[in-house]
Amino acid sequence: MPEFPFTNGHGTSSSLPDGSEDTKGPWSAHVVLGNAAKRPFRLLPKRKNRKLPKNTEKRIAFFHYGDYEVAFKFFVEHVVGAEYVKLPPATKRTLELGSAHSTDFVCAPYKHILGTYIEALEQGANVLVQFAGPCRLGYYGELQEAELRSMGYEFEMMNFSSLDGLSPRRYLAEAKKHLNPELKLKRAIPNAAAAFKLLGHLDEIRDFYLANAGFELERGTFEKTVEDIHARFSQCTNGREIRKVYLEGMQQLRNIPIDKPENPLRVGIVGEVFTAVDPFSNLFTEKKLLEMGVEIHRTVNLTNRWVHYNEENLRASITEYCDYDMGPTSSLTIASAKKYAQLGFDGILHLKSSGCTPEIDCMPTLQRISRDYGIPMLFLSFDSQTSDTGLDTRLEAFYDMIARKRTIA
Amino acid sequence: MTKAFLGIDTGSISTKGVLIDEDRTIIARSYLWTEGNPTNAARRVVDDLKSQINPEDVEILGVGTTGSARRLVGAMTHATVIKNEITAHAVGTTYLHPDVRTILEIGGQDSKIICVENGVATDYAMNTLCAAGTGSFLSSQAHRLGLEVEEFGDVALTSKKPANIAARCTVFAESDLVHKIQMGYPREDIVAGLCKAVASNYLNNVGKGKKIVGPVVFQGGVSKNAGVVHFFEELLGQEVMVDPDGHLMGCFGAALLAAEASHTTKMEEPFDWNVSKIEFKTREVECNKCANHCEIICVYQEGKLIDSWGNRCDKGEIKAKK
Repeated sequence: MPEFPFTNGHGTSSSLPDGSEDTKGPWSAHVVLGNAAKRPFRLLPKRKNRKLPKNTEKRIAFFHYGDYEVAFKFFVEHVVGAEYVKLPPATKRTLELGSAHSTDFVCAPYKHILGTYIEALEQGANVLVQFAGPCRLGYYGELQEAELRSMGYEFEMMNFSSLDGLSPRRYLAEAKKHLNPELKLKRAIPNAAAAFKLLGHLDEIRDFYLANAGFELERGTFEKTVEDIHARFSQCTNGREIRKVYLEGMQQLRNIPIDKPENPLRVGIVGEVFTAVDPFSNLFTEKKLLEMGVEIHRTVNLTNRWVHYNEENLRASITEYCDYDMGPTSSLTIASAKKYAQLGFDGILHLKSSGCTPEIDCMPTLQRISRDYGIPMLFLSFDSQTSDTGLDTRLEAFYDMIARKRTIA
Repeated sequence: MTKAFLGIDTGSISTKGVLIDEDRTIIARSYLWTEGNPTNAARRVVDDLKSQINPEDVEILGVGTTGSARRLVGAMTHATVIKNEITAHAVGTTYLHPDVRTILEIGGQDSKIICVENGVATDYAMNTLCAAGTGSFLSSQAHRLGLEVEEFGDVALTSKKPANIAARCTVFAESDLVHKIQMGYPREDIVAGLCKAVASNYLNNVGKGKKIVGPVVFQGGVSKNAGVVHFFEELLGQEVMVDPDGHLMGCFGAALLAAEASHTTKMEEPFDWNVSKIEFKTREVECNKCANHCEIICVYQEGKLIDSWGNRCDKGEIKAKK
C-alpha cells in the first residue's frame, strides 16, 4: 500500500504523519500541505489585528432582514448596551453596491447583505453583525468580512453564525466576548430573553398582517398600523414594555375594519430562509399578492426556523416524501407545503434565490405534493437581475388561475 | 348593428388582433410583426381589422389587451380588460378546446405550459432564465442559415437524421450550430436538430415536473413550425394539436375576457376606430425621490397624460390631471 495519509477505509484507524492516532473514524481524510509537524503553508498573508482600537465607541449594525429590525435594535441597545446604527431602507443602490463587489454567481442574499454592510459602514457603523447560517449563508460572514477589508474598511465583525439555534445565553456570552466586556451577564439575561420574545411577537404580527391585510377596507391601514407598532417597539427598553406594545398592537390590528369573505383565497408561501422572508429580496411578493385580495400564510420565519425549529418532528410529518434531512430549510419547506395542501389552500408559492441548491432539491418533492394533492404551485427564483414586470405577470396569472378555478369549479 | 369585442395581443415579435361577436365567433383577425414599435403595431392591427368589417355596422362593447405591451396598448385603446398572456391563453384555448388538458405555448420571447383540468387552468410554468428555444431564437438562426423562418418546419421534415444541437442556452446553441455548419452537416439536418432541441429543451425546462396529459394543444408563433410539432409528438408519444387560429389564442382570450367583463365594466367612451390617427407618446421619467430610481412610464395622448405606471411607492405616483 502506498504511503498516503488517508485511512484505508476498512474501519481500522491509521496513524497520522505526526505520529498521533486518527480517531475520527474510517472515512476521515487528511490533506497535509507543507511541513505538517510545524504548520501548513499559509495561503494568505497574515492579517492585521481585526479589533478596533481600545475605547472605541462601538456602533453596531445588522443587515436588512424581514421586519426584525426593531429586535436587532433592542438587542444592541438594551442587551449589549451599545449604539445601534439605523440603516436607510434597502434600495436599488444597496443591491447594486452589493452586486458590484460580489461574484456574479453567488446567491442574491449575499449581495443584499454585502450591500447593506457597505451602506452601514458609510453611515458610520464600526461593528457588523452576521447571524444567518443554515446553508452557504453561514460562510458568507467571513467572505464578506474579507471583501470589505480588501475594500479598505476598518471595522469589527461579530459573526454569530457559528452558533447553532437561538439560545439567548450563548448569544450573550458571545456578545460579552466581542462587543462589550463590561456586559453583566446576569443583568442582561432578562433583556436577552425579551429580545427573543420580541422576535416571536414580530412574527405573530406579520402572520396576522399576511392573513388579513388583503381585505382591509381602506388601502394601507394595515401597513401603517404595523409600521406604527414597530415604531413603538423601537422605543421599548425592557420586556414589560415590549409585552404591552405587543398586546396593544395586536388589539389595534384586530380592530382594523376588514371585509373578509368566509372562504377567501388562501396562498401559502414556502422557500428559502432569506429570500422568502425579506420583502426587498423578493420584490415585495407578499404585498403584491395582498393587493389582489388573498390570505397569505408563511411558516418560514425566525421563530419557526431558529427559535422553535425541530427538524426531526417536521420530518416525521412528511415520511412519505423524505427519509432524511435534506438541508437548511428543506424539511420546513416540504412539511409546510404538505400542510397547506392538506388544509385545502388554493395555491403555494415557492420563493428562493436563484442557484439555491437546497431549495432546488426540494422542488421535485414539491412537484410531487402538487400532483398528489392537486394544488397549483408557482416556483419563483430571484437574483439581482430579476425584474418587477416578469414577477407581476407571473403573480397576476397565478392569482387569475386560482381565482378562476374557484368560480368555475 | 353587430355588437363586438376587440382583443389585441402585442408580443415582442408579432401583434395579433381579433374581433368577436356576441356569440364569441371571430369576425375579423389580424396578425403582423411588431417591429419593435408596439403602438404602431396596435394601430396597424386596428386598421387591418377595420378593413375586414364595416365599422359603421359594428359597435365595440369592450376591449381586452394582453401581451408584453398590454398596458401601453390598453391605455391607447381605453381597454376594459388588461390581462397577462398566461390567463388570456388559458381562457382562449379552453373556450375553443374545452377538453384540452395541456397547453404548450412558445412565443417570441417566452414559453409556457398550462395544465388544465375540467376546462380550468390548474397549474402553469413559464421559462425563467433564458430565451433559448423561443421564436426569436429560431428566427435569428433561420437568418443565419439563409432561410425564412416560415420555411423552417418544412425543411426540418425532410431530414432523416437530425443533428444534435445543444440548445440549453442561446449563445452556446449558436456556437454549436456554427460548428455543425462548418463541419458540413446538411442544412436540413441542422434545421431538424434545432427544431428537436427546441422541443426537448422546452420539455426539460418549462415542462419539468409537470404531467403532460393529452389532449395536448400547441400554440404561439412557433406552433406554425411543423418541425417542432413533429418532435413534440415524437418526444411525448402522443398527438399534438395545432389550431389554425393557434397564434390568435392570446387576443381571442383577451376578447373573451372583455366580453365576460362587459356586464360590469363598460367602455368609458365609444371605441375610436381612428386610433391610428391619434398621436401617442411614451415618456420615461426617473423618480429621484429615493435611491430606487423607479422608471415611471407616462403615456400621453395628444400631449395629455392618460396613464402612468412603474412607481413602487406613492411618492413616485404621477396622476393624470382630471
